[in-house]
Amino acid sequence: MKLRFQFILLAVLGALLASVAVPSAPAQDQPQPYQQQEQQKSEKDQKKKKKGGFFSGLKAVAGQSSEQQGETATAGTKGVGEGEEIGNAQPSSADRAAVTAMENYSLPQGDVKKFQTDGKLKAGK
Amino acid sequence: MTALAWAAPAAVLFAGLAFAPAARAQFGDILRKAREKTEKAQQIQKALAPLTVEEEREVGREVAAKLVAHFHLYKNDALTRYVNMVGATVAAQAERQEIPYRFAVLDSDSINAFSAPGGYIFVTRGAIALCEDEAELAGVLAHEVGHVAGRHVLKIVERDKAMRTGMEESKAHMPGSAYLHRMSQGILVKMIDQGLAPSDEFDADQRGIKYAHGSGYPADGLTRFLVRLDQATQQGGKSFWTRTHPPVSERNENIRKTITTQHWEDADRPKLADRFTRETKSVKTKA
Repeated sequence: MKLRFQFILLAVLGALLASVAVPSAPAQDQPQPYQQQEQQKSEKDQKKKKKGGFFSGLKAVAGQSSEQQGETATAGTKGVGEGEEIGNAQPSSADRAAVTAMENYSLPQGDVKKFQTDGKLKAGK
Repeated sequence: MTALAWAAPAAVLFAGLAFAPAARAQFGDILRKAREKTEKAQQIQKALAPLTVEEEREVGREVAAKLVAHFHLYKNDALTRYVNMVGATVAAQAERQEIPYRFAVLDSDSINAFSAPGGYIFVTRGAIALCEDEAELAGVLAHEVGHVAGRHVLKIVERDKAMRTGMEESKAHMPGSAYLHRMSQGILVKMIDQGLAPSDEFDADQRGIKYAHGSGYPADGLTRFLVRLDQATQQGGKSFWTRTHPPVSERNENIRKTITTQHWEDADRPKLADRFTRETKSVKTKA
């Protein structure tokens, strides 16, 4: 009687433990549910990106994927705004040099002072 | 009783052995997720942090390069010098003095003015041709300085996580990088195609008239220019200002209110029409 009880108890415990342990085991080796969640999340993010946002219509020309190039082409058929057209411009080295020259442009302080005095303007705050 | 006494430790031992790998796996999974979340939070925090002055200049430089590539600079040393003189005078009144303000003329008939982060300010040949005196040009330039001083474009960039993706990459800050291209493209679309928030335009107006008045020009230069711009665009003149900015009537009403409230009527201040005509002769002739 005692032996039978012991056996039944162990069998029940064993079955219980097995049922709990088995489903969690694959989580260690194959984190499929997590990957699926991540995949679903990234799909959602992509849908969100496609939906809107100030800059959603923009796709970088440089280093873009073929998918991105396709979207740019679609935008082109819909009519590209001037801002987007300017944004797509690829500055040449001469353009960049012109910006550098703009950065380095300086006015002699004496000339600025004379300009302001001649115009009866105020220098500084 | 003996059976139970024997069964209990056996069950505990069995449970420990059975659960150990699963528990380790689950614990490891929790740790990994926590680590990933921390890394993601750090990236988000970095992406939403205000841009440094150097980062602002990098972005502005890219926007400026694209504007130059599209419109080309109007190569006239005397005019560039004159625009920089007027610009420097009003910019000296700006709240933000940690960045240098630079001015250039774009070779375009359209009536536009642009400001990029970092203090790069452009005015088109067409906009200069529309001005009647130096006070009007000062008003236009001061409005653009106001956008930079108010960090209007930067605030958009700083709010947009997607735009700042990739900024931590080592080559992101090189001129022409994919990151700077995407960022500057976004700024140009916002500025020219969509327009800044009306509140930012009103703020730039308010700052602009303050700078103009502070530097000794009449405060109403921008108002007079806007009236003429409105008329010019109704007659077919090209300008994104009237397309993307709040209505001129509304802007001028706000400006006039401030001028009255602040007692900035400045009837005796110089508009400097003669100097303006002399210095901008080349533009007027070309237009």
